Amino acid sequence: MSPFQSNKNILSLTEDILVRIYEILVSESDRKSFRLVCRDFHRIDSLTRKHLRVLRIEFLPTLLHKCPRLQSLDLSACPRIEDGVVSLLLSRVGPGSNSLSLGNWTRGLKRLVLSRATGLRFSGLEMLARSCPFLESVDVSYCCGIGDREAAALSSAVGLRELKMDKCLRLTDVGLAKIAVGCLKLEKLSLKWCMEITDLGVDLLCKKCVDLKYLDVSYLKVTNESLRSIASLLKLEVLGLMVCPLIDDVGLQFIEHGCPSLKVIDVSRCEGLSSSGLIFVVRGHGDLLELNAGYCLPELSTALLHQIKNLKHLEVIRIDGARISESSFQVISANCKSLVEIGLSKCVGVTNMGVMRLVSGCINLRVLNLTCCRSITDAAISAIADSCRNLVCLKLESCSMITEKGLFQLASFCLLLEEIDLTDCCGVNDRGLEYLSKCSELSCLKLGLCANISDKGLSYISSNCKKIHELDLYRCRIGDDGLDALSTGCKKLRKLNLSYCNEVSDRGLGYIGRLEELSDLEMRALHKITGVGLEAVVAGCKRLADLDMKHCEKVDDSGFLSLSYYSRNLRQINLSYCAISDTALCMVMGNLTRLQEAKLVHLRNVTVEGFELALGACCERVKKVKLLATLRFVLSSEILETLHARGDNHRSWCTAAQLTCCLILRLYYERQPLSCHAHGNPPSTEHRQRTVEMAKFPHYLSSANFFTIGRFIDGRPILVACNQPQVH
Amino acid sequence: MLSDNRIKAPVQDGVVNQLVQASKVQDWDPSAMLDNLSFLEQKIHQLQDLVHLIIGRKGQVLGRPDELVVQQQQLVTADLTSIIVQLISTAGSLLPSGKHTLPAATPSLEQSGQFGGVVFPSAQGPLNDGFQPQNAGGSKVSGLPNSVDISRKNGNEQNHIIEEHELKDEEDVEEGESLIPGTYEILQLEKEEILAPHTHFCTICGKGFKRDANLRMHMRGHGDEYKTPGALAKPNKESGSEPTIIKRYSCPYTGCKRNKDHKKFQPLKTILCVKNHYKRTHCDKSYICSRCNTKKFSVIADLKTHEKHCGKDKWLCSCGTTFSRKDKLFGHIALFQGHTPAIPLEEAKAPAGPSDQGDGNQSTNKVGSMNFNFSSNVSSESEVQSSTDIKGSIDDPAGYFSPLSFDTCNFGGFHEFPRPPFDDSESSLAFLLSGSCNYPQKSED
Repeated sequence: MSPFQSNKNILSLTEDILVRIYEILVSESDRKSFRLVCRDFHRIDSLTRKHLRVLRIEFLPTLLHKCPRLQSLDLSACPRIEDGVVSLLLSRVGPGSNSLSLGNWTRGLKRLVLSRATGLRFSGLEMLARSCPFLESVDVSYCCGIGDREAAALSSAVGLRELKMDKCLRLTDVGLAKIAVGCLKLEKLSLKWCMEITDLGVDLLCKKCVDLKYLDVSYLKVTNESLRSIASLLKLEVLGLMVCPLIDDVGLQFIEHGCPSLKVIDVSRCEGLSSSGLIFVVRGHGDLLELNAGYCLPELSTALLHQIKNLKHLEVIRIDGARISESSFQVISANCKSLVEIGLSKCVGVTNMGVMRLVSGCINLRVLNLTCCRSITDAAISAIADSCRNLVCLKLESCSMITEKGLFQLASFCLLLEEIDLTDCCGVNDRGLEYLSKCSELSCLKLGLCANISDKGLSYISSNCKKIHELDLYRCRIGDDGLDALSTGCKKLRKLNLSYCNEVSDRGLGYIGRLEELSDLEMRALHKITGVGLEAVVAGCKRLADLDMKHCEKVDDSGFLSLSYYSRNLRQINLSYCAISDTALCMVMGNLTRLQEAKLVHLRNVTVEGFELALGACCERVKKVKLLATLRFVLSSEILETLHARGDNHRSWCTAAQLTCCLILRLYYERQPLSCHAHGNPPSTEHRQRTVEMAKFPHYLSSANFFTIGRFIDGRPILVACNQPQVH
Repeated sequence: MLSDNRIKAPVQDGVVNQLVQASKVQDWDPSAMLDNLSFLEQKIHQLQDLVHLIIGRKGQVLGRPDELVVQQQQLVTADLTSIIVQLISTAGSLLPSGKHTLPAATPSLEQSGQFGGVVFPSAQGPLNDGFQPQNAGGSKVSGLPNSVDISRKNGNEQNHIIEEHELKDEEDVEEGESLIPGTYEILQLEKEEILAPHTHFCTICGKGFKRDANLRMHMRGHGDEYKTPGALAKPNKESGSEPTIIKRYSCPYTGCKRNKDHKKFQPLKTILCVKNHYKRTHCDKSYICSRCNTKKFSVIADLKTHEKHCGKDKWLCSCGTTFSRKDKLFGHIALFQGHTPAIPLEEAKAPAGPSDQGDGNQSTNKVGSMNFNFSSNVSSESEVQSSTDIKGSIDDPAGYFSPLSFDTCNFGGFHEFPRPPFDDSESSLAFLLSGSCNYPQKSED
């Protein structure tokens, strides 16, 4: 058979068969290869595609038209999706000459990810909710502007089972009530950081949505009353109560007698709890699978231990930060045989003997976190390696007494190891890495602050651990040769940290440029690199999405110009302390159309005009900009207003929450009364300095939000006298 | 005013009885009467002289300012007043014997027609008793503005009249009271009596009062004998020693639970209770709240109470019911299937246009003060609230805003008030405005 004929045969395969073949392909890269074969294959890919994650909004209409069987649409990576875009997408008549009916794509849609779609408002959400009849899952987390009205719009999706609303700062009980009444089938709801939600809302939710299986009310100011309501949920399996400072043991007592299906509970960082509260929970739920009680217990008391003993099915326990005795390990290991994950991060009293006793019983352990358990040595590691052959993840940060012997044991027995954190383990050297390289499944390796490793050690890893996709070499003495080896071996590398590896030069970056998969590169303070190195990186790593080159002061404009030319996929950039010029900054900010976040602090060669132009060029797209606070007074009001309006519909033009928080924190700690000229008369010049910066955040100054932020600070609300401007 | 003469009679009669008791101490004395009359005669002569003098001087003092004339007028008025007072008190002493003839001689005789009613013997006793709880109720309202209206009467005489403010001592108050049937006397007033505006009438001039205390104050103007401590004291104080039968009231409306013929009869405690009950339950609700134009009341005090809170019910359900408290709304929603909290239309648009925040606030303040001016005409309560606090003025319905100021009003201005985190300024305000006016949005610029 001639090659031509065989080729024809492949092309003559029917659609059905092609679809069959396509369905066999699992990995994303294989599918990519498949669809790049020819138009027909590409069409098959589009026709059968169920999930779509869109990176560029301009292709969205075409993509949606081509993929009729879409079930899941992820728009979280789109720089700006607004109500207008949504209405365009849903319009029956397509854009331009091809009058396609675009509305069809919503027919089968079940899952919609709109996380961080800060431009979306109720009209857009309402259109989406109405046009997707089978919508089951919506993620609107971190859409800080979402409030009650948006919630009301979402509530028209009656079939909703899963809803994620983390950090919808404007959502109040009223919005939650809308959802509770509208989406009665809700099974999974996350309300993290929705600071306005109170007991009333939670109570109503628990009364209306009785099918709830997953409820996360972390970081809310809910009290025991909420727990009383939650206890009535018969189907609840997962309950997140992280950082709920107002709940205490009494609340957990309600849980003891309620929530019969409870499997997972997370009460970490709940300040009000003591071990007696946990005793209630554990006593009431013998089938508990996961108990997360990190940083809420001063010590693992014997009474609590006695109860935990009865949890025969317990798989995950995290008691980070607690004091724990050696005998406790014995009890856990003897009784909780099914433990898969133990978190002992920053626990006091974790000794070699303790770990040995623990692993002697828990042989199914897959994840073990021993971060900052500084007293453990190779003996403990040997015991772990000996017992837990299924270990997948081991975190040993700051366990500086571990040496190559421990790693030898580990690598000899734990061949399934995928992730190991050896940050700040000074005992690890090149030989240790040589042993470790036997773990060929390794995908995540953290070697930050390990001063004793060199290019040689890295070459061992590179040659054997082909699956590594995350590597942290922060402040390691790695040179260009090590990177050479890395780039030839670890082709799958996606995330690399080279910060403060001072020996790396342009040659090394040239090797980095070979890593095609690299999307996340941190290379702070590489003093030897210049524009040539940067050009090599950006020209090679086409997928680069996040670049941090703070303090790379030798990089010149040629590098930045090539950055602006090549890195079209860049989403985040940190250029602080770089020697970038006005022109280059304008090019970077103007050309990088997917840029969403930029840190531009201390750019000594950039003038105010440069900033004006650069910000003017990017303000259409960018979501977050970090600038020196003083710039606010010299930038023109037009640019400030544009940034204000474009950056986020109602939030401010700068780094939204954090910055405001910082400002308030600063003012708070300086014990200066906030003078809120923000809404009143224009401030006189001498007060301008302090007051105008608040004026830029009028919506953060709205009392509700203000209190919200105020709560972040030591849990104490900041009371601000706003009626009359106070001047000091 | 009532046209039916007889209506007043029983009540009036009660008062008369009481007056009889009071005046028994000083019986009619013809010699005293003569003294008084001669005094009057003297006084009239003096006045005559004075007037003659004025007439005589008139020609001479043409060029003089009005000052003197005014002085003279005052002098004449004072004398005349004194004469009238003397006349009345003299006439008053004749009262016990000639009550049917006297009213014709009194100066204010608008209500003379109401005299001469039929005496209802059954009402006689109870009414005397009935005053007491009423008075007791009066002291209960110490929390309310017990404003004493100083009304000048006849120049040198002041009548202290307790401003009538209908008490809200509910029928429900004695709900828990369990009196064994038969141990108390049941009285039933007729519909007309209940609806009469006044219950106490001056036997001399016929003026009606709602309170006995006010009547007694009024009576002092009729002569010295009404100024004695005995006459001014509460009529029942002295008779308190003897055990009185407990009096309870029945509603004249047949079929009412408060009617004595009802199976589960629950008596009303006082006349006021009867009045309020009858008006609330069996009368039209004629008082309409001018703010919301929806709530109707039959008792004016209820309207006043409502007006204090009207517009503050900002928690709205999709069914249209409003609540003053969020938890009440949520309880309501939890109870009824399909009900949801209503979100004001403007809320979503409100955050728009942050750039004009500064200017907007100024105008908001203006609106706030303007509103204060308007609202002060309407009710004194809102005046107190809004004088210092703009937020207070938001609570007033939109109807009180000047129509001109609508377009300058900006929600953003209210942000500066620290308020509880759940009290969302936009939503509450927007809600208030949403119903009553079409709020023009400022376009973002």
